[in-house]
Amino acid sequence: MIRSFLTLLAALTFWAMPATAQENSGPLRLEITEGVIEPMPFAVPDLVAESAQARDLATRIARVIAADLSGTGLFREIPAEAHIGRITNFDSPVQFADWRAINAQALVTGAVSLDGAGRVVVKFRIHDVFAGQELGRGQQLVGEEDGWRRIAHKVADQVYSRITGEGGYFDSRVVFVSESGPKGERAKRLAIVDYDGANLRYLTDASTIVLAPRFSPTGDRVLYTSYETGFPRIYLLDVADVGRRALPTLDGTMSFAPRFSPDGRTVLYSLTQGGNTDLYTMDIASGASVRLTNAPSIETAPSYSPDGSRIVFESDRSGSPQLYIMEARGGEAQRISFGRGRYGTPVWSPRGDLVAFTKQAEGRFHIGVMRTDGSEERLLTASFLDEGPTWAPNGRVIMFTRETRGEQGEARLYTVDITGRNLRQVPTNGGASDPSWGPLQE
Amino acid sequence: MTYLSKTIILVAGLALAACTNPDRFADGDGSGTGGAGLSGAASDPTSSAYFQQAVGDRVLFAVDQSTLSAQAQSTLDAQAQWLMTNSDYTAVIEGHADEQGTREYNLALGARRANSVRDYLVSRGVADNRLRTVSYGKERPIEICSEEACYTKNRRAVTVLAAGSVS
Amino acid sequence: MPRVNTGQIISGTAHLAVIGWVFFGGVLQSDPPQVEVVEAVAVSSEEYAAIMARQSAPEAAADVDTPEPPEAGEAAPALSSGTDAAPEVNRPEVSDTPPPDARPEAPERPAPAPTDVTDTPPALTAPSEDTAALVPETSLRPQPRPAPRVAPEPVAPSEPDVRVDDVARPEVAPEEGADAVEDQQEATAPEEATTEIVTEAERPETPVPTASVRPRARPTRLAEAEADTETATAPPEPTPPEPTPPDTDRDAVSDALAAALGQDSAPAERRPSGPPLSAGEKDALRVAVQQCWNVGSLSSDALATTVVVAVSMAETGKPEMSSIRMLSHTGGSASAAQQAYEAARRAIIRCGADGFDLPQEKYAQWRDIEMTFNPEKMRIK
Repeated sequence: MIRSFLTLLAALTFWAMPATAQENSGPLRLEITEGVIEPMPFAVPDLVAESAQARDLATRIARVIAADLSGTGLFREIPAEAHIGRITNFDSPVQFADWRAINAQALVTGAVSLDGAGRVVVKFRIHDVFAGQELGRGQQLVGEEDGWRRIAHKVADQVYSRITGEGGYFDSRVVFVSESGPKGERAKRLAIVDYDGANLRYLTDASTIVLAPRFSPTGDRVLYTSYETGFPRIYLLDVADVGRRALPTLDGTMSFAPRFSPDGRTVLYSLTQGGNTDLYTMDIASGASVRLTNAPSIETAPSYSPDGSRIVFESDRSGSPQLYIMEARGGEAQRISFGRGRYGTPVWSPRGDLVAFTKQAEGRFHIGVMRTDGSEERLLTASFLDEGPTWAPNGRVIMFTRETRGEQGEARLYTVDITGRNLRQVPTNGGASDPSWGPLQE
Repeated sequence: MTYLSKTIILVAGLALAACTNPDRFADGDGSGTGGAGLSGAASDPTSSAYFQQAVGDRVLFAVDQSTLSAQAQSTLDAQAQWLMTNSDYTAVIEGHADEQGTREYNLALGARRANSVRDYLVSRGVADNRLRTVSYGKERPIEICSEEACYTKNRRAVTVLAAGSVS
Repeated sequence: MPRVNTGQIISGTAHLAVIGWVFFGGVLQSDPPQVEVVEAVAVSSEEYAAIMARQSAPEAAADVDTPEPPEAGEAAPALSSGTDAAPEVNRPEVSDTPPPDARPEAPERPAPAPTDVTDTPPALTAPSEDTAALVPETSLRPQPRPAPRVAPEPVAPSEPDVRVDDVARPEVAPEEGADAVEDQQEATAPEEATTEIVTEAERPETPVPTASVRPRARPTRLAEAEADTETATAPPEPTPPEPTPPDTDRDAVSDALAAALGQDSAPAERRPSGPPLSAGEKDALRVAVQQCWNVGSLSSDALATTVVVAVSMAETGKPEMSSIRMLSHTGGSASAAQQAYEAARRAIIRCGADGFDLPQEKYAQWRDIEMTFNPEKMRIK
């Protein structure tokens, strides 16, 4: 009552003195073009355990969420010791002042409970601390208890995606070649891990050399090259039951460097006959092959564009290995790499705008990216031997193999942001090479 | 039920794999030092040991090259001679590359090297159905240092003998 | 052929071992326990509304559980088949799950990262042989050092005791007996920063001396910036400010009320709109906001989006939170604009938390501000 009176009065006042009130000249206009680039501070307090048995999970899930976010290099965790505020009830209003005081800009709150049937229920919210409001809506995830890491990854994917605008990539897996033994007779076997190195599982034994696996677009199958018969040959492996079969090949030839087409029905690969290596496709169902290139040079390491219409590949037709793009059915190819040095292993980004590659120049190896017309080349890494980039499902991060030099040299997997920041080693429990990053899991 | 039958199938498969692999693998052992159970003293000119040591079972290549040097050609002349004399043997020619290259390109490069040896031997009269080629790319270096001294020995094609038919 | 015999023995043993392993060790155990994450079930709008309602009435919420959203048919748990649920036996080759509370660190790193593993790429101390293969670094251009923060101006590493803050503040001790308005504050310094992202490939192999030359001199930049802003603001906007909706803008109400009642008329009433802000004053505001404009956690799409944000200021120089809104965006998708806007909003709120340093007598000039956040320059850092 009093308030509406004041309101009315205020409104009248405005009307009463138009001249003076309107003297000022509209809003002040400013253009901000210089900002800072730094990890955003965030806090993920332990989830609220809504049942006693969930207490342990409440902490572990929060830790995985925090590790995922910190691991991107785009976020920096404010550790629990620094927290002032406590989240004791998922539905109570957040005391934003407590989180502002420690400069947490994003806050993730959640609750976890077990439903008694071995399933975990996780609810979570994302808060913009300084704006004092929730970002998006509260969400709930349900999963089996031993799949709790995946639930945590899914929460982290939502948070990452909501704040940055990039698609998520935490709930994904990587297939790679696990290496052991001395350099001269390295034992190699296929292995699969969560993107963060957890849940390592072997897919083949170490009885023969295996190389360069590639995930199918849906992540349920893997193509790879094996010396099982004594000669390099392409195999198709089912991830769930590790059943494998050799794809048909011509006697007296070598086939390798297999890649799935985006629809998962075709294999694009290299076939060597009489010492000459060209690109072919094979229909997986029928086994029928089609030749795409026919040149005396080496054509290998192909990669489809995400829409399947074009292929980028490596060829030494100019005298040294360089990158070329052609139509998916073959034909004339355009060279796209023109810098100094040798270029190899091009991989088309999931967004379609970039090609990641390996570059060898002046005695060092680099992982780099360029636009698909070859412009804006940018080298992200440098070492004795970096090779074989693979894209995270969101196209923001690249994983690759880094091998150290010398007799004790070993290969490991690394990731780097496409800005060139945040170089990190992926824990793989021993030597590791040839990663292939799978899709975001369903 | 499903589990049991799958287990049986896989056991069988694994047993088979375990049986065949070592033999196959020895045939194609990238070290080129094998000879796959073919024994015999180096003093016996019909032995694989003699072929390896006296004739010379390998030739080396320049960086990125698959062309045969004069020295390589003379080694291969001797290999051809020996293979013509000892017609019981077949051979797998293994091509290798040094570690200064990407994996798949090096596989193709090794194949090129193996093939240029094969073509040369055939041109010298060795029946081409006695020869097969395989490439190990950079997977089986014989020298493991990261220096040119090692690289030069790793850029090689090795003629590995086997008894009987190739295919 | 003793060699073959040995081989047979080994083979036989291996076969037995393998078969035993298969049967008892579960090597062929297929998939790990199938993770059936029933897909992210969004809380329904009714529930959400209910949750929000409870938020405003926390008492009532205390003993009410969030109802489970109905699980959609397709999101039903796929029952794992008998095969998938293979008995959990010790799998010799499978490594243990790394400790859950930390991102598992690899056992051996090529070289210890200098300080902060999270942000600094592992500085692989290049073996000395490598250097020989390299063209000597002869560039005269000062090399920016890699730092986790990229800012318009490089900031040298701060003294160890100083807390990192966006604004450098002197240490303020409470004055005895004085009516101290300012809170006690510890001395802070802006976080160490470099001016551009330095990738591993761009770094010289030998460590850069820590006492590197600062790449840019500030005065020139300021002069340029002043020139820019001067021209940009030359024609004053003729549009009169809309009267702020009375019930959302308490300050406006009380100002107007105060004016109407003739109290305290000096500052509130004909608060002279005064001359426009000087270029220096505007620049100071711009600099203050950009210190908090962190684009480091934006997608590349959001980094291609320019947003115009409106904000009304209280007389204290603090932004009024509820007044902040996005007026327009250009360049990116609508969803990218949302993230770009949120980053801009954080910048205004965070750096305005203690009030921007603006001339009181010109309040009318800066009461309403439109800020254009254009990240174009930040994309190429």
